Amino acid sequence: MTQYIKLAWRNLWRNKRRTLITSASVFFGVVLSSFMRSMQEGSYDQYIRSIVNSYTSYIQIHKKGYWDDKVINNTFKRNQSIESELKRNKNITLYSPRFETFCLASSEDYTKGVMVLGIDPQREDKIINISGKLKQGHYLKNDEDGILLCSVLAEFLKMNVNDTLVLIGQGYHGASAAGKFPVRGIIKHPSPEVDRTLVIMEIKKCQELFSAVGMLTSMAIMVHDANEVADTKQTLVRSLPADLEVMDWKEMNELLMKQIESDRASDMIIIGILYMIIAFGIFGTIVMMMAERKKEFGVILAVGMQKHKLMFVVLLETVLVSMVGAITGIFASIPVLGYYYYHPIPFTGKAAEMMIEMGFDPVLSFSLDPLILLIQALTIFTFTLIIGIYPVLNIWKLDITNALHN
Amino acid sequence: MIARSQTLTAKDIITKSDDKARGKTSQGESTMTIVRPTWSRSITMKSWEKGRSLSLIVITAPAKEKGQVFLKIKTEMWNWLPSIERMIKIPPSMMLQSWMGSDFTNDDLIKESSIVKDYTHKLLSKETVRDMPCYKIEMIPLPEAAITWGKVIIWITEDGFNQWKAEYYDEDMSLINILNASNIKKMGDREIPTRLEIVPVDKKNNKTILEIKNVIYDQPIKDSFFSQQNMRSISQRIK
Repeated sequence: MTQYIKLAWRNLWRNKRRTLITSASVFFGVVLSSFMRSMQEGSYDQYIRSIVNSYTSYIQIHKKGYWDDKVINNTFKRNQSIESELKRNKNITLYSPRFETFCLASSEDYTKGVMVLGIDPQREDKIINISGKLKQGHYLKNDEDGILLCSVLAEFLKMNVNDTLVLIGQGYHGASAAGKFPVRGIIKHPSPEVDRTLVIMEIKKCQELFSAVGMLTSMAIMVHDANEVADTKQTLVRSLPADLEVMDWKEMNELLMKQIESDRASDMIIIGILYMIIAFGIFGTIVMMMAERKKEFGVILAVGMQKHKLMFVVLLETVLVSMVGAITGIFASIPVLGYYYYHPIPFTGKAAEMMIEMGFDPVLSFSLDPLILLIQALTIFTFTLIIGIYPVLNIWKLDITNALHN
Repeated sequence: MIARSQTLTAKDIITKSDDKARGKTSQGESTMTIVRPTWSRSITMKSWEKGRSLSLIVITAPAKEKGQVFLKIKTEMWNWLPSIERMIKIPPSMMLQSWMGSDFTNDDLIKESSIVKDYTHKLLSKETVRDMPCYKIEMIPLPEAAITWGKVIIWITEDGFNQWKAEYYDEDMSLINILNASNIKKMGDREIPTRLEIVPVDKKNNKTILEIKNVIYDQPIKDSFFSQQNMRSISQRIK
């Protein structure tokens, strides 16, 4: 066996240029397809991250039926048993209670319907990073009375930091809710939709305002990464009381998931075309190689080499040459993808505006998932092996006299 | 008794009943209990009423809503919210919305429309409802009246002319609300039902109960009592 490998290896380096060209086409195949996949997956990751981090988090717990009917009476009581369940789960990095509802916000002369989000300032900041979006004023401290206004809303209401905003609405069980709150800070939320409607306040003050002390509309939960979501959700569904619903970010963002899904399908077509171009490139070099070496094979067979052994050696050559290409391809891709992972390509002009409007960073992100590299290397390697059947078949059908006369 | 009923028209019965229920003025205390499938809550209030066009209600409990005042002058309605020190005018578009989360609408509270003047009346029959012999009268709103109902069927007790039961139908003549009065007690100079229960037909296990704790009729109240200034001072006194 080692003898065959040695033979194949030597054969390869007898014609360095030919070998380099073949392995270079494998190499570029791996690099290009990895680059493309990394870009695609990177932008999905970016979508997911931004929706998870802008609002939904990975998993949420609600009272059963809340998601379909988001009214203030569809809330659940915050209690120790739920929290100890969350604390016990090793996947969960963070959980944050929320109380959200709609009401009217009124300044001196203007009134507008707003969404009020009551949060635990410290915990929530680690999920949706509100303090990072702060434009003016300061972020809420725990138990602090006061609100944060989104910038477009603040402009509409003609409000600045330290002005007083009036909130009027209906509270829990039909109680009336009305209160005055000083504006502590103004934030710029990337999503224009949210930026027009969101008012953030400390959760206890919010629950008090709406006469719902101790009640939550949702518990936002973060896990280490998206891969742990399914498992964690399963565990929670099993261990939490049946009158609560557990939803993951996919269920909470159905529309966006459908968009990503259809996007993925069109990406598969593009990557398929790329694979075909690469495969034909490799096929071309191998056809050339066969043509060049026809006489050589004829001579070897004429001096007594068995056909099946020769076939095996040639197959080994293909395997080796594509392995060289695949492995160097992987190693060459890492720094390239690494660079773009940390320096995403910025969008400009209309495309950038569109992305900002949709609430995303206007950059083309890359993924550093090692699986992408591995799968691309394996795919290209498999293509090469399939192409490798061509020289094997050729030798099998080789007519020695004809080959010698060539 | 029989002789009298023969001479009474449907309109006479309604007029007698309306005069009794309203008086010239009335003032009193009541408790409203909102019942929902999973919870219920009570609100107590004091109210003053003068004729058809003036009324004022101040909430005395629960603590959170204590001091809220509602004022009605003719068709207009204001709400004073002490927690934000603001007077809110309730716009016509909100008239059909729930009052304080109950099954009563803001419009029910205003009761600008008159069951005497704004309807045509027809005596349908006599029926006994919960042991009380009643006149069953169909009331169809006049075309020019600002009334949202398609028709109202009302049962008025033969003895005492109390509004004992009512069914409210919408424009498509499907039943929306049922009102049941009960618990007749002497309040001031007259005997009236002190418990009113309103049940929305399409919402299961929902109802609102209004219990009158006390009420005095025909005490003089000045018109100036029903003013925005007075809303604020009453609110402060209650707090």
